[in-house]
Amino acid sequence: MTRHKLELIGLRKEYDDGNVVAVDGIDLAVESGETIALLGPSGCGKSTTLNMIVGLEEPTGGDIHIDGKSVVGRPPGKRNIGLVFQDYAVFTHMTVAKNLSFGLEVSGLPRSEINRRVGEAAELLGLTDLLQEKATRLGGSQLQRVAIGRTLVTKPAILLLDEPLSNLEAEARQAMRNELRRLQNEIGLTIVYVTHDQTEALSLANRIAVMSAGKIRQFDASGTVYNEPAHTFVASFLGSPAMNLVRGELRRDGQALAFKSGALTVPLPARFDAMAPADQAPVTLGIRPENLRIGQPGDSGLISTVSVVEPRGPEAALTVEAANTDFAVVVPSAARPEPGEEVSLQFPEDSLVLFSGETDRNLALPHNVEEAA
Amino acid sequence: MTMRTDTLPEAMTVSADEEPVSQRKGTRRKTLGKALLLPGQLISVFVLVVPLLVAFYMSFTDWSPTRGALTSARFIGLFNYEELLVYDTRFVEAVLRTLVFAAICLSLEFLIGLGLAVLFLRKFRGKAILFSMLLTPMMVLPVVVGYTFWMLFQSNGPINQLIELAFGAGASPDWFKSALLAQITVIVTEVWHWTPLFFLILLSGLNAVPENPIRAAVILGASPRQVFWRVVLPMLLPVIVIAFVIRAMEIIKLFDEVFMLTRGGPGSSTETISLYIYKLAFNDFQLAYGAAAAFLVLIGTLGLVHLLLTPVRNQLLEARN
Repeated sequence: MTRHKLELIGLRKEYDDGNVVAVDGIDLAVESGETIALLGPSGCGKSTTLNMIVGLEEPTGGDIHIDGKSVVGRPPGKRNIGLVFQDYAVFTHMTVAKNLSFGLEVSGLPRSEINRRVGEAAELLGLTDLLQEKATRLGGSQLQRVAIGRTLVTKPAILLLDEPLSNLEAEARQAMRNELRRLQNEIGLTIVYVTHDQTEALSLANRIAVMSAGKIRQFDASGTVYNEPAHTFVASFLGSPAMNLVRGELRRDGQALAFKSGALTVPLPARFDAMAPADQAPVTLGIRPENLRIGQPGDSGLISTVSVVEPRGPEAALTVEAANTDFAVVVPSAARPEPGEEVSLQFPEDSLVLFSGETDRNLALPHNVEEAA
Repeated sequence: MTMRTDTLPEAMTVSADEEPVSQRKGTRRKTLGKALLLPGQLISVFVLVVPLLVAFYMSFTDWSPTRGALTSARFIGLFNYEELLVYDTRFVEAVLRTLVFAAICLSLEFLIGLGLAVLFLRKFRGKAILFSMLLTPMMVLPVVVGYTFWMLFQSNGPINQLIELAFGAGASPDWFKSALLAQITVIVTEVWHWTPLFFLILLSGLNAVPENPIRAAVILGASPRQVFWRVVLPMLLPVIVIAFVIRAMEIIKLFDEVFMLTRGGPGSSTETISLYIYKLAFNDFQLAYGAAAAFLVLIGTLGLVHLLLTPVRNQLLEARN
């Protein structure tokens, strides 16, 4: 199957004469054959973006290119983009076969070609035995496969999936995740997922675009988005529990660099020296819960108290209070302390992330400031 | 601590005691409820069931109020039914005529109602006021509708005045003197009166059609026409059938408007089945024969409704499973 490239250029959507900005000028280039996820909380503009790509809504600014050509202004059916809805939107009054052939029938393809393509899609998605079933008789994951198949038979350039897993039960969700990954490998489509579920995004996408308030906060490989968040929003949205973020200021004392927030002082490694702003500049310190270490009260580190212990099977999520600040810490279950216990909290230097207190951007990633600004 | 040990058993004894009390109370309440329902039940038995059974018995006799008590009437078995179905051409014609009226009226009401409902999916000025106006006919008493249209269709009535204004003097017909024209007045009246019901039901049905399948069809390349015929209309089918069933049951009983407009004439050209049964019972005093006819119509209506529901029965019954 030929592969196609999707580009969003300064895409903008305003409602109410510009009083409400749903999508605030986003740039996004999806390489052909790539799978990306648009990740963000509800109301961040990701569904509006999807609707604009597919043509259900027209942008108020910017452009959408497929293989370098603008598709803005073209009706939804003429953009060669497929969309699978969160609720599948399968035609319940039709059989599976009729659902699959719908897109081909309305375009007036000869019957033999329709049958051939429907047969192919049914086989690819394991629907061959269900072709004569009424859609009302199908379960969630079957409906989803019908919805995907119905789109695939029309050979779309880009496949958009709106929250593809969120209506499925946990078991079916894992199976569908594998199924989608297999499809991705087999047909090599260019796919854009929209999701608010970070697990879904992390497990399916090559790259993740994290959105909030109509803007793309970071667009990077899934590992990078997690380990090197470009924005405090990204840091707080990904991970469970989310990254610890403490607002404070930078202190320079000769060669020594430190983060200070009230009674809390964390020495910073030398690598921050070059990029860190001046003395007393406002900064936000970030560290992932699983990177914080706890030790015996006598060890080095901050003296702190465990206030909450939440067992989660193999690991435990703790809330640890140090210097009047609550930290989320994830430790292996075997090493978990008791509530009320006194421990020492250690901040491994390599895991510390520093954000600007003014722009909320990661100070270690200066190039991202221009890119996303 | 002492407080707790004191209050705890006390609370337990209270609740242990209270349980049977509340149960007894429950049974007493249920009995009371049944007792209070009884008068209503008895009244409906006397008002509905007894007359139905009496009429059913009557339909097997040759009773007429002019010939004394029902108990003295002769039991003649299925004679009335045989007479109706085999020999009474006026009955058979009335049945067929009613069915033809029903088919024409319901088709027109459906098409106009659907057109209006589709129109009302859009935004336009004065939509709210037009909506209320369109629903008004439905709220007028059938007798009043019949009387109003009888006035309108008079040979020197407003409709004919308009026709003469448009096509010159002498162009207006005498509506109630020709069989075909009289039938048209009945159809026009009925369609005017009941299209709003179709409109209302279809509009709420259209609004309930889920949006995403429509969007999906659009994205798959379907034209607005294809979306309407292949997606919207099939999803609307149960609602359409319900509208037809409700109206079919009503139109088979078509009486008031025809009675006011034409009394079934000229001749018997607009005589509906209800009108014929009315004439049998109250003009000719053949109450037993009329009862038999009424039962035949009841059976026919049941069959018709059953038939109408067939295409959507599964859909209606399994919607939530």
